[in-house]
Amino acid sequence: MRDIIALALMLVLALLVGIPPARAQDADALRREMEQMRKQFEAMQEQYKKALDSMSERLERMEKRPEPSAAAPPAPATPAPAAPPTTEMVTQQRPPGSEPSPLDLIKPREPFALYERRGAGQLLFDMGVTGDFVGNLTQHNVQKNQGGSFPGLENLFFPREVEVSFFGQIDPYARAEVRFEAEQDSRSGGLNVNLAEANLTLMALPYGTQLKMGLMRNRFGYLNPIHAHDWPFVDNPNVLQQFFGTEGLVESGFEATWVPPLPFYLEVLGGVFNGVNDVAFGRGQISDPLATGRVRTFFDLEDWGAIQVGASVASGQTQQQRSSTIVGFDAKYKYTPPGWQHAAVSVLGEYLLSFRDVVAANLAGIDQTRQRDSQGFYVYGGIQPFAHGELSKWLLGFRYDRTQYPAAPGTEWAVQPFLTYYPSEFLRFRLGYKQTTRSQCCSYLEFQDNGGSAKQVSEYFLQATFIMGAHPAHPF
Amino acid sequence: MRRLVILILAFTAAWTAVASPARAEKLRVVTSTTDLKALTEAVTGDLAEVDAMARPNQNAHDLEVRPSLMIKVRRADALIVNGLELDGWADVVAQGANNANVIPGAAGRIDASRGLGVLEVPKTRVDRSMGDIHPQGNPHYTLDPGMAPAVTQNILEGLARLAPQHRAAFERNRQQFLGSLEEAMGRWSKTLEPSKGAAVVVSHAQWIYFLTRFGLQQVGTIEERPGIPPTANHLVKLIGLMKEDRAKVIVAEPWSDLKLIERVGQDAGAQVAVLASAVGAMKGTDTYLATIDFNVKTLAQALK
Repeated sequence: MRDIIALALMLVLALLVGIPPARAQDADALRREMEQMRKQFEAMQEQYKKALDSMSERLERMEKRPEPSAAAPPAPATPAPAAPPTTEMVTQQRPPGSEPSPLDLIKPREPFALYERRGAGQLLFDMGVTGDFVGNLTQHNVQKNQGGSFPGLENLFFPREVEVSFFGQIDPYARAEVRFEAEQDSRSGGLNVNLAEANLTLMALPYGTQLKMGLMRNRFGYLNPIHAHDWPFVDNPNVLQQFFGTEGLVESGFEATWVPPLPFYLEVLGGVFNGVNDVAFGRGQISDPLATGRVRTFFDLEDWGAIQVGASVASGQTQQQRSSTIVGFDAKYKYTPPGWQHAAVSVLGEYLLSFRDVVAANLAGIDQTRQRDSQGFYVYGGIQPFAHGELSKWLLGFRYDRTQYPAAPGTEWAVQPFLTYYPSEFLRFRLGYKQTTRSQCCSYLEFQDNGGSAKQVSEYFLQATFIMGAHPAHPF
Repeated sequence: MRRLVILILAFTAAWTAVASPARAEKLRVVTSTTDLKALTEAVTGDLAEVDAMARPNQNAHDLEVRPSLMIKVRRADALIVNGLELDGWADVVAQGANNANVIPGAAGRIDASRGLGVLEVPKTRVDRSMGDIHPQGNPHYTLDPGMAPAVTQNILEGLARLAPQHRAAFERNRQQFLGSLEEAMGRWSKTLEPSKGAAVVVSHAQWIYFLTRFGLQQVGTIEERPGIPPTANHLVKLIGLMKEDRAKVIVAEPWSDLKLIERVGQDAGAQVAVLASAVGAMKGTDTYLATIDFNVKTLAQALK
């Protein structure tokens, strides 16, 4: 028993003495092993991170531009196009992918820094700037009367429309456009900056339909939806100016279009708007809306010629809550042979009819409401007889206007020859002369205000227009 | 009220009937250029009706957006674009066509340039002082037959998304086309082999892929900058350069200013080779292979 106890004590002692070193050795080994594993893990983690980063980058690249699955691309034999002079701005670029600082964002010298730093195509929308400057010279009496084509801005050179526009897809279902405009609206030189358009279009609707909503230039007739810098002449045609005012028909509301699946092109449009036009539809509430409608179609007449015809209607209430309806018909013909940068021949015309309730005194001198019907039209023709060479940059145009006044008796008509010069697709100059004659019975328009007279108006125009950045393709 | 409801229901029924005709058996495909039309037809064979928006002898950069193009796209199942900003006008057409199948991001919108090795990608900041430059690189890749396998693969993948049941047939058609292309490629390389390294001047910078493929050197352009007509000063310098580099040929497109190019050619002692800038642009270039064949033979003849 004593032996057993002694053996047990020895064993315990041995355990007590022997185990600690063994535990220490194991712990050290474990620590080393753990350290090694930790390092391996960290290394693997690093490797995985690198691999993941690389794969993410590749995935991103592939999503934008997947690797070719077949052909090997040819090796470039010539250098990239001549580089522009290196500027300070370029040398100050941050490394690709780094986020611009708030300071960078507000730097005035780098308006497109975000675009540049994200790389081409990475800005998720397009932006463009257009500038349209107009100068006009006319008689002093016309200036006093403010009876020129640019009322209140006679004998001035002024920014007619400087526009910053943003447009692009919102998501796979819709696109949007937002345009801000600055324009001079008085002789004092003050600029009027406003939101010219801001709208979205639902493009993924079924059965060939689209819905546009927001603030927009209404698709009434040919010219109204087009911004002034893209017009084929300097000034707004007289009939549109008299029927819709200097700004045209620009409204907030909804516009739906339908292109039925027919063998020929037909677009049907219907719209509902607040009605804030201060000349024709000033009711200004969607509950008593301005309703619009339009149909347009198009025919290829021969290989290089084509015609578009359309009919439009707009019906609402005036500021005085009286009924007002305008109906319009438009046609545009263009002949553009191969090689011509601009149409060799273009002809455009619009004819408008206005039916408006007005208050006028009857023979007994009592005010009574009656319908006033008026009409007007313009016809434009442009010719560009040269396909190539310096002369191909010049275009000769002519416009004839004739219109009645929608709310008063009287007529005015005008002729306008002009010459356009396009140094490039993005720059244009125009010189024009316009002679306007107004009938003697302009009681409503008072073209003898301020001691001046605007019954005979001779005007000389100079227009300079530029486009920077993105600009959508022009409509037919 | 009851009449109004009946009227609305009748209108909706009529609209639906008109607007959703029985789906055609064949895919309806619209391409922006005739090159893409030809390459698409090589993939689809008889399984699709393919139409192009640009005409063969038209400068595809400046296409006029006509509503007649919109009617082509109105009923299309797929819209195949060249991309690289050659045919940005296709967006405007798609918008006006009211066809949800082909708007950006839709399955039916196919960009044939995806994944290609693009040449002349600007390495520095670009702006319009350099002319009508393409920030994403030269978009005229379809003129290089060596790009056709990748381009047709992009087309195949896009169309197979819409019609997976035809994938095998598309692949068969494509392989058959690539077989003919490979055979022709050997012939073309042989034809232009003696001219390898020759200096060539081009009218518009759209031949770089084609010239590079066959080992030719582009040493200058008639246009001073892309899309901008040349100045007299530029032409004088170019003629000097052509004499110096012994550039014997000016490559021109059918829509370019051929009178001016002929004059430059005479002054520089060079021949003018009018090549087909797109499938169908010259007589006898109705197919993709015929077009490349025409271009190779015409250029080889001029370089002799």
